[in-house]
Amino acid sequence: MRSTRRSDALALLCALALPCALAACSDPRSGPRFAGAHGDDAAPQRGGTFVFHHESDVRGFDPHVAFDELSNMGIKLLFDGLLDYDHELHLVPRLATALPEVSADGRAFTFHLRHDVRFHHGRELVAEDIRWSLERMLSPATASPGVSYFAQLEGLDDYTAGRAPHVRGIEVLDRYTIRFSLREPDQTFLNAIAMPFAAPVPRERYGPDAVEIARHPVGTGPYILEDWEPGIRVTFRRNPRYWQPGKPYADRLIYELNLQRETAFMRFLAGDLDHVHRMTPADRLFLGQSAAWASYRELKPDADLWGLEMNTELPPFDNVHVRRAVGFVIDRERWSLARNRALAPLGQALPAGFAGHDPQLPEAQVRDLARAKEEMRLAGHPDGLPEPVTLWIGEGPTGKAYGELAQANLAEIGIRVELKPVSFPIYLRETGRPRTAQMVFGGWSQDFPDPATFFDPLFHSRAATPTDSTNRSFFKNSTLDALLNRARSERDAARRTAMYREANALVTREAPWAFAFSNIRLEAWQPYVHGYRIHLVWSNCFRDVWLDLPRRRLAQRFAPRPGVPAALLPFGGAR
Amino acid sequence: MIELVLKRAAWALVVLFLVVTGVFLLANAVGDPAAANLGPRASAEQLRVYRHAHGLDRPLHERYVRYLGALAQGDLGRSLRDDQPVTAVIRQRLPRTALLGSLALFFELCIGLGFGIFAAVRRNSWVDTSVMSAAFVGVCLPSFVTGPFFLREVAFRLGWFPVGGYGRDALDHLYHAVLPALTLAILGAATYARMMRSEMIEMLRADFVRTARAKGASPVAVVLRHAARNALLPIVTMLGLSLPLVVTGAIITEKIYDWPGIGRLAIESIDALDVPMILGIVLLASATVQLGNFLADLAVAALDPRIRAGASR
Amino acid sequence: MDVRALRRFRKNRGALVGAALVAFVVTTAALGPLLAPHAPDAQFPDALDRVTGLPVGAGGRYLLGADQLGRDVLSRMLHGGQTSLLVALGATFLALVTGLSIGLLAGYLGGPVDTLSMRSIDVLLSLPFLLVAIVINRVVDSPSLLVLCGLLGGLSWMTLARITRAKTMQVRELEFVQAARALGMSQARIVTRHVLPNVVQPAIILGTTLVAQMIVAESAMSFLGLGVRPPAATWGTMLSDGVSMLSYKPLLMYLPGGMIALTVFGFNLLGEGLRDALDPKV
Repeated sequence: MRSTRRSDALALLCALALPCALAACSDPRSGPRFAGAHGDDAAPQRGGTFVFHHESDVRGFDPHVAFDELSNMGIKLLFDGLLDYDHELHLVPRLATALPEVSADGRAFTFHLRHDVRFHHGRELVAEDIRWSLERMLSPATASPGVSYFAQLEGLDDYTAGRAPHVRGIEVLDRYTIRFSLREPDQTFLNAIAMPFAAPVPRERYGPDAVEIARHPVGTGPYILEDWEPGIRVTFRRNPRYWQPGKPYADRLIYELNLQRETAFMRFLAGDLDHVHRMTPADRLFLGQSAAWASYRELKPDADLWGLEMNTELPPFDNVHVRRAVGFVIDRERWSLARNRALAPLGQALPAGFAGHDPQLPEAQVRDLARAKEEMRLAGHPDGLPEPVTLWIGEGPTGKAYGELAQANLAEIGIRVELKPVSFPIYLRETGRPRTAQMVFGGWSQDFPDPATFFDPLFHSRAATPTDSTNRSFFKNSTLDALLNRARSERDAARRTAMYREANALVTREAPWAFAFSNIRLEAWQPYVHGYRIHLVWSNCFRDVWLDLPRRRLAQRFAPRPGVPAALLPFGGAR
Repeated sequence: MIELVLKRAAWALVVLFLVVTGVFLLANAVGDPAAANLGPRASAEQLRVYRHAHGLDRPLHERYVRYLGALAQGDLGRSLRDDQPVTAVIRQRLPRTALLGSLALFFELCIGLGFGIFAAVRRNSWVDTSVMSAAFVGVCLPSFVTGPFFLREVAFRLGWFPVGGYGRDALDHLYHAVLPALTLAILGAATYARMMRSEMIEMLRADFVRTARAKGASPVAVVLRHAARNALLPIVTMLGLSLPLVVTGAIITEKIYDWPGIGRLAIESIDALDVPMILGIVLLASATVQLGNFLADLAVAALDPRIRAGASR
Repeated sequence: MDVRALRRFRKNRGALVGAALVAFVVTTAALGPLLAPHAPDAQFPDALDRVTGLPVGAGGRYLLGADQLGRDVLSRMLHGGQTSLLVALGATFLALVTGLSIGLLAGYLGGPVDTLSMRSIDVLLSLPFLLVAIVINRVVDSPSLLVLCGLLGGLSWMTLARITRAKTMQVRELEFVQAARALGMSQARIVTRHVLPNVVQPAIILGTTLVAQMIVAESAMSFLGLGVRPPAATWGTMLSDGVSMLSYKPLLMYLPGGMIALTVFGFNLLGEGLRDALDPKV
């Protein structure tokens, strides 16, 4: 009898232990768990493994084909280009010894190559590799999305049509010198050269098998692909032959894939990740306000554009007054609040920081219910629209949140909105088709730091293609087209800025979009991580990261509340 | 007996064929995997090349026939996402889900049977009532309710387990599997607990057990040697029926815990309209259902003393 | 349900608790929209903290707090409960009707009808429920409530059909049925007058537990981002919305999760109670 009493009592004790332990725990969000061994003033150290993450899966690391943020995080580690951007987004030479010599008419660019660069497999890099790689990218067989950025190259049409074996505008002058010739001056050409599309690859490792290439990249970058567990993680190891002395610092980089943003931050706090960037709005809020993390985070407005894209070819949005009304009814401040201040409200066609952006733009779209109602009256619908409008959003909690915010706002001017959440593939296909989607919640982020990166793909009539159109509002305005064409080749910076400002005013006034916001990037890293800053062109570039190791465990994690004996804490706080 | 097995196998094949046809038609009725896999910046040319390379521009019936032909040779095709052979990807991911499922099964049996026996032996005491109430509640807690709870309280706040993910090496995998397995196991453990208890109570009341106790045998020995063994039959049947759970029951749990198994693969494939992969997974799931049913029937035939007695005569 | 069964039911404490819970849930679901203090989709600016944007907690104007878009949780729970329950009951009703009809026909008519039905059931049962539901949901692309009921119900009638068929076959051989046939009564009348009442009992018991399963199924689909079209709320969508606030406002998940558990609990208890009352193990 007594034994059964004892075992019953034991069972009761066990059952009650869990809630007590929970109650005794302090919040693990009190601060970083680990610091570096030497503190923030230490000199760059070699060694260590750096762990970073993303939300989805990577398809491949072919620099000439991949065009998404996930692949780019790896591509920036594996490949170099002739040019690169520094943190202020100025072009700097990378594989070139200096910025190119530009001809007097602005149509020819001559680059001199460094002499000490080797590919991962050992062979030296020469100018012929640059040409071969670019021609591979431009070849129709590769079907690269980057071709349009190099459209001004002389002889490109003959090459793509198969009439010429090489692109006339790419000339190898000697072993280390190469010259590009354009048909007309193009102010965005150097930006194009800085893109991974122009990264050199060794022809002996790049045969016709595209899948093989995507999985076994060979470049000149500071890191080499070591291992890839599909769907789980990619491991990079240091390139011992890298041409920059002393670099890179970290021995290994591990890229964790498919981590949901709901749990990514929790894992960062636990010390499983060394860098975090995709978080829920609430996590961002905490991170942004936490004093303990102040030195280890960076907040920077992103160079992107988000809003409600309205199909100018379909009613009711073929009427400019209706479009303007939508632009005036969106409550950008409220949207930002609902997303925990993760957004920078925007009411014009260019984000802040771009030439042509004007904080005092008179035509800017602002929250003004009276003006919105006035526009609706001018449109002939003072009481709203008789038919509901369908708003296409991406599936998932983010699209849903914005959809619901838009619904609430548009209801104020009598526009009933039906949400249509669709999977990403359908979203891309259908919204890119003319006369299909009335209104789309979408955005666009920069490919390079120049206003052309927004205007050309979003509002130029040339971009309104019958399939997979990037101009999802199918906005066709000949005045704008002419302006954009001229601005692209204009060499005088002041005149160019004025042209883009005019374009900005035009597009904002015509309101093919209700511009809503730019994202604000918030990223954090562990205290023992150094050498990282947000780069607005290359999302998350970890080339220069170094780790202050071994990491020191800080004692504050399981700070017991007074009166609770330490014996009740699980494992004394260690893990 | 052999005839029965063959008949079952033939019927299973017919079922799988119908399942594959149905899902093939369904999955191909929706949109275009090309855009899904190449991303928003893909050029029209890129998409065209992709569609042609994967035979997506062929008519539906032609694709169906080709698929069946390949299937007959054991080739499940290639993933539309990254061109990996479907069989290879499934073979790679299946052990991870299997680890989760087996650990979950292990927990279910230990916790479920253990508590079931405990409650039966302490019948009508407060232990019995509380265990049975807990079990009843357990049956009502789906994984998307308990999963986030465990994740936040046990993994994040207490720090006893990692906050989701898969881990680096074998032991690490096991460590990462504990919480998701527990989440999966709650439902099964509760069911087994209740089953075991009612079976045990019946057994304990049986004459032969009373005799054993009268003879002075310790209650533990009595329980383990006589009662428990006989109570196992319905448990074993349930085990067979829960085999499919190992494959598909984990969809939600794998999503919550970032576990890169078949369940997650299913979600990713459906998102990407990766038709060959979806078909492969559905085939796998249906096949395990058939297998599970078959094993359950076999177990019943083997373990049921009445059938066994009948066979030996 | 005869008098003895009713007495057994009343004596069973579990069954009474279950019945009470079900009554509570169904009443709040029915009256929910009338009881809700605010509109479920209305986004209130004062429900979000002015500086941070975090939703307010329980108390004050928003009795159970607000969600991350500033909507009143209590109102959403009440409306959501109605939607969740509607879907679950609708799906169960469909499953019951389909299962009963097919089971009856198969069991009574036998022969090729029986074989065909049973084979189809075999095929359908070997489909993994969640997977197929997700795929179909993709095909239909943001389904209406009716379509959702059809989807869930259409994948759940099989076990019921089997049980009905077995019972029908049992009843068919009973004397009074044979007598009715000999007397020349039409098949239809025999089935509806004599067979059906005997077959309905196990169906009802199964139906009760089926409601619980349908609630879980609908919540699971909403949790995965499928299911009802936004901004319609169900407990499942509230769960899915609440995940991002898990470490800050866990109530946003625990409340709908708790309600789901409670409802399932109630229906399961009721189902068990009914079974014990109608079909006691002696």
